[in-house]
Amino acid sequence: MYQIFEHTADLGIRIEAEDLNTLFAEAGRALFSIIVTNVDAVHPIEQVEFNISGTDREFLLCDWLSELLFAFEKRRLLLTEFTVDVQEQGLSATARGETVDTRRHRLEHEVKAVTYHGLKVEETDDRWIAEVIVDI
Amino acid sequence: MKPSSRGYSGPLEQISPCCWRIPRDYKPGMRVEGRIYADAELIKQIRQDPAPEQVANVAFLPGIQTASLAMPDIHWGYGFCIGGVCATDPNEGGVISPGGVGYDINCGVRLVRSNLTFRDVQPRLDLLVDQLFENVPTGVGRGGKYHFQPNKLRRLLGEGSQFLHTRGQATDRDVQHTEAGGRLAEADPDRVSERAVERGYDQCGTLGSGNHFLEVQVVDQICDETAARAMGLAKDVVCVMIHSGSRGLGYQVCDDALRSLRGAPEKYGIDLPDRQLACAPIDSPEGRTYLGAMRAAANFAWCNRQLLMWQAREVFQKVFGQTWEQLDMNLVYDVAHNIAKFERHVVDGQEKKLWVHRKGATRAFPPGHPETPAEYQDVGQPVLIPGDMGRASWVLVGQPGSMAETFGSACHGAGRVMSRKAAVRQAQGRRIDAELRGQGIVARARSWKGLAEEQPTAYKDVDLVVQVVHQAGLARKVARLRPIGVIKG
Repeated sequence: MYQIFEHTADLGIRIEAEDLNTLFAEAGRALFSIIVTNVDAVHPIEQVEFNISGTDREFLLCDWLSELLFAFEKRRLLLTEFTVDVQEQGLSATARGETVDTRRHRLEHEVKAVTYHGLKVEETDDRWIAEVIVDI
Repeated sequence: MKPSSRGYSGPLEQISPCCWRIPRDYKPGMRVEGRIYADAELIKQIRQDPAPEQVANVAFLPGIQTASLAMPDIHWGYGFCIGGVCATDPNEGGVISPGGVGYDINCGVRLVRSNLTFRDVQPRLDLLVDQLFENVPTGVGRGGKYHFQPNKLRRLLGEGSQFLHTRGQATDRDVQHTEAGGRLAEADPDRVSERAVERGYDQCGTLGSGNHFLEVQVVDQICDETAARAMGLAKDVVCVMIHSGSRGLGYQVCDDALRSLRGAPEKYGIDLPDRQLACAPIDSPEGRTYLGAMRAAANFAWCNRQLLMWQAREVFQKVFGQTWEQLDMNLVYDVAHNIAKFERHVVDGQEKKLWVHRKGATRAFPPGHPETPAEYQDVGQPVLIPGDMGRASWVLVGQPGSMAETFGSACHGAGRVMSRKAAVRQAQGRRIDAELRGQGIVARARSWKGLAEEQPTAYKDVDLVVQVVHQAGLARKVARLRPIGVIKG
């Protein structure tokens, strides 16, 4: 589950999930919900694999979202379904979506970057919580 | 640091009508005091934002000179607030910090004048704005018509506006009327990552989205006849103002630098209150890489604004049936407001070569400064301050006060006061474009949400911000311009 929270000039994402894999998957979906308004209109017809190394979970979240952002910028891919496997040394993931079709997809925000500001990945008693702010 | 919904509750001592001090003993670790330029009204608004805390944090940076400064359009950002100015001395272990420039390296503004008046343009205003919207690329994920092959892009990154001059896409005058001649020397295209090139290679000559815009404006008020005349501005003259930066290439250069600096503070023994102030000594491998890449990205941004202007000129030609030269669509000036440079400034009576970061702040050199173009030598360097799309923008000229107090700097815009989400909530059920039309402003945007987020009430009143800068003697008001046409991504 994710929500977009207040920030003066940019947008923040807050995610809560039962486990780390779902947390990262939801974070990916949240990012694309900022880029494209009607995220449900994205069909999962193309598939991309990701492998990202890193032992710091917060930096890993930032790097994960940055890779997704680059996939959008370079290949015009909107990715909205994710299977993520987070391990000690990094993560591997499969993402599904399609290339932008301006007749169906309403692009809303240009995300300049995923920032480190207020970056958080935390485990509480019964769930994982993450926060990240993107520069618009 | 996490944003505090309670704003800033630390000390702010008024030291002059337009300047407030955060004393050096506010936080152990501050090497200098903080100074915020604002009047009594604006400071109340500023207190509701955690940005003053960031001003205090910047004071921790090694080699920082005199004070950690902030302009009246201050609001909080990443590590550095927006509206922040900080100068460090390389001879005192001074650091570079990419957060002190921002993701949008060399985001800036240019102003183009014309010999058209409001009366000439008004009958064709809808057509003009439509044509600008059709022909100047705006919006998310949109490339433009200028694609540069790798070898040409390399030259563009190294030479900036001067490269476009060799291709006939910039005149001598365009180059001379751009800050730094549209080129930072010692740019190093090889330090720009492949990823940055991939993000930006087809974006030179595109506006982008968010708060970027191209506006058709009318000179509404002249405050300084002599300076206005030097710039070709008079009441009712129609101008074009362009606000954009280094696009995906610059954002990626900043991102790459921040990634490379993740372990740098520990490596160099720098204690930081906020990891977003990630920095390294100017003279370090990380510092040199960032310098080379940042300068290349800055050159890209100047080319971007040059090509945006070029496309706007072509549209005016088409709509008004005269060449842009016949329309006297001359570049008044182009300023950067997210940048860092070596400049010479006097500190405690001694002239030093300092690394000056301006993040959401504009250079404002006074009359007689060697970097000011010849026709502005007597009046000062033009300072272009965009407001929101419903109210006004300003042209000022730099004054000696800026060199004395703020390392030659002034504000950059109005500064946001409302979050994007709050602005969208406020706009529910409203047609912002219709409201603007009711004020005589024709607006075209790629998305309703984009327009809602950028609505006038989301910003401070630029008149108040500019008044502080004027009163503090940093820059002097020359002309106020009001928008009549806006295109946004």
